[in-house]
Amino acid sequence: MTETADAGLADAVTERDVPTRLSWESRSRRVVTIYVPLICFLIILLFPFYWMGITAFKPDAELLDYKHNNPFFIQHVTLANIRKLLFETEYPRWLMTTMGVAVGATVLSLFSSVLAAYAIQRLRFRGSTTVGLLIYLAYLVPPSILFIPLATMVFQLGLFDSPFALVLTYPTFLIPFCTWLLIGYFKSIPYELEECALIDGATRLQILRRITLPLAVPGLISAGIFAFTLSWNEFIYALAFIQSSENKTVPVAILTELVTGDVYQWGALMAGSLLGSLPVAIFYSFFVEYYVSSLTGAVKE
Amino acid sequence: MDSITRRDSLAIGAGALATAGIGGRTAQAAIPVADVAPPKQPIEAGASLRVLRPSKFVDPDEVVFRANTQKFTAATGVPVRVDFVGWEDLRPQTAVTANTGAGPDIVVGWPNDPHLYYEKLLDMSELANYLGKKYGGWYFLAEKYGKRWKTNDWIAIPMGGTTGPCVYRESWVHEAGFDKIPNDLGQFLKLCQNLKKNGHPVGFALGNAVGDANGYCNWLLWAHNSFMIDEKGQVAINRKETIEALKYAKALYETFIPGTMSWGDPSNNKAYVAEEISLTQNGVSIYYQVKNDPKSAHIAADTNHAPMPFGLAGKDPSSALVLNAMVFKHTKFPNAAKEYLRFMMEAEQYDPWLTQCLGYWAQPLKAYAKSAVWTMDPKIAVYSDGCGHEYWEGYKGPINAAAGAVSANYVNVHMFAAVSAGQATPEEAMKEAERQAKRYYKA
Repeated sequence: MTETADAGLADAVTERDVPTRLSWESRSRRVVTIYVPLICFLIILLFPFYWMGITAFKPDAELLDYKHNNPFFIQHVTLANIRKLLFETEYPRWLMTTMGVAVGATVLSLFSSVLAAYAIQRLRFRGSTTVGLLIYLAYLVPPSILFIPLATMVFQLGLFDSPFALVLTYPTFLIPFCTWLLIGYFKSIPYELEECALIDGATRLQILRRITLPLAVPGLISAGIFAFTLSWNEFIYALAFIQSSENKTVPVAILTELVTGDVYQWGALMAGSLLGSLPVAIFYSFFVEYYVSSLTGAVKE
Repeated sequence: MDSITRRDSLAIGAGALATAGIGGRTAQAAIPVADVAPPKQPIEAGASLRVLRPSKFVDPDEVVFRANTQKFTAATGVPVRVDFVGWEDLRPQTAVTANTGAGPDIVVGWPNDPHLYYEKLLDMSELANYLGKKYGGWYFLAEKYGKRWKTNDWIAIPMGGTTGPCVYRESWVHEAGFDKIPNDLGQFLKLCQNLKKNGHPVGFALGNAVGDANGYCNWLLWAHNSFMIDEKGQVAINRKETIEALKYAKALYETFIPGTMSWGDPSNNKAYVAEEISLTQNGVSIYYQVKNDPKSAHIAADTNHAPMPFGLAGKDPSSALVLNAMVFKHTKFPNAAKEYLRFMMEAEQYDPWLTQCLGYWAQPLKAYAKSAVWTMDPKIAVYSDGCGHEYWEGYKGPINAAAGAVSANYVNVHMFAAVSAGQATPEEAMKEAERQAKRYYKA
């Protein structure tokens, strides 16, 4: 609300937005039941990021010697780790590859999942529920079992050691997940809307494009975020199908370059993970509202 | 056909040697060489190669390896692409390569990999015999890991090995009343107890640390003349020597710094650099870590290496991590691949690599013991005969998938850790280890 809004409206809004405080709700009660748990939760969640952050800017000597240095703070901030990461390794290139792979896999999976979910939820062909179940079962097969058979397929398609191997294999676990998310979402869109469109003479594809999808944007976004994050962090396929260092994705590449035998270059490793998690965080922050609303259903009746 | 004949490639090779000679040799000793004709391996026309190897220990490891590869390309016209991969990640990539018949022609892998995939590998006997004859013979472990079990067929070319002897602070050991690391188990225990008493505890990894924990626990077992598997490949851990080893481990554990149960491979490096421990078992990496940082120069000056006590074994009861190069049958250019390995193992290429690896890798061929690397710094000399140790993974049994599974699942480590932590009596822990090992050997 802006300050220029007139007082009456502002009052009305405040009354509506702030839940009325019940008589037994005291200030201290709120502190104990809401803020203390919330703070604990935040500390637990954010501590790894804090640790990552300070390790990325710590010189090695401080990192190794906790007797003379407090492990939770930095005495002498250094940019050496970041410099090493950006200029002595191919980090920017890995970041681009990872971005490309994640975007490609996400777009591909979303497209397939929309069609699959719509068909399963709305067309109700014979065996549609079974198909839905089977798709979900495919999600339950762990990648550690699948990577060798998939490697054979990837090789026969001539995709071995190219980013396309990943763009095409990531959907094997992304599509089932997105499909199930979208089935649930489509279910929450009233069927009456589509019936009206059918009466008006729209085809199924027109309905999908003009009615269902615009209503399902929050669902698409949350599926997209999931797919993007999963493919950004994926490890085992990226490890198995890519062997040239310039085609590697960030999670695999930083391990290859920054762990030498039993010496871990923690500073640079942490800087790499920190920079690597930034794009995902930025991506999230743009869409967080859609994401929340997608969890509460599409159209309020 | 315009394939390069052997004569041609020799001529080109000689040319490359001449240029390399002019390029200035840095502190290189003469490697004694026997006059042996190289195997006949005419390089296929249009050949190109892909090589996969573990990531570097130190920068020159990668730099010199790449430079040698470029020399090979310059000499033969065969483009070679070398990819490096993290140590832990090499295994799955080798598995994919072996099972799909795709990817690199040559994998420089871990010791037992060729033994798991021997059906998919080219026979290397001719090349190995040539190298052996020319360079004074192969060390024991190189031969053990290079040849298929109980045969004379070479399935891999070992390229180097690294060991984990005792790394210790000289002044603190003196302070504890010893002038060097004793070779006797009782004396060693006494040393560790004195060190602990003086406020300088020792530390050996007992967590799931691939190199360090397996190294420490195998030493305990072998130094007491015990072993997991007998010559026939039967599980033989259930014996009184094992009980002795377990009791000793428990006593030794009392002298440790707290927390070793959760130690991974980097943990002892960190504790040593932070001056929290006085003695541990490790590769040469700790020494270089402290030597290269001006802030820890005093630690480097006070650090020395020695073999772990031989104990009852009478010889160094530890193994080495051997780099084992294998050529897959799916390669389209088998001769080029073999020529590449030959080229890399010849003194003109191998010695500079060995020297600049600063002792991280030890030679598999005896002639290279004369390399300048072992006289550069007397403190690292103990690493030089790494491939000469007479113990291997799955000792005394065959090198196979079961032996690999036993160490990958830390059966031996868990046995020692359980007793050290007081969670199990030596008998219970031994029974449990026997049960687990039998499960892998039955399959």
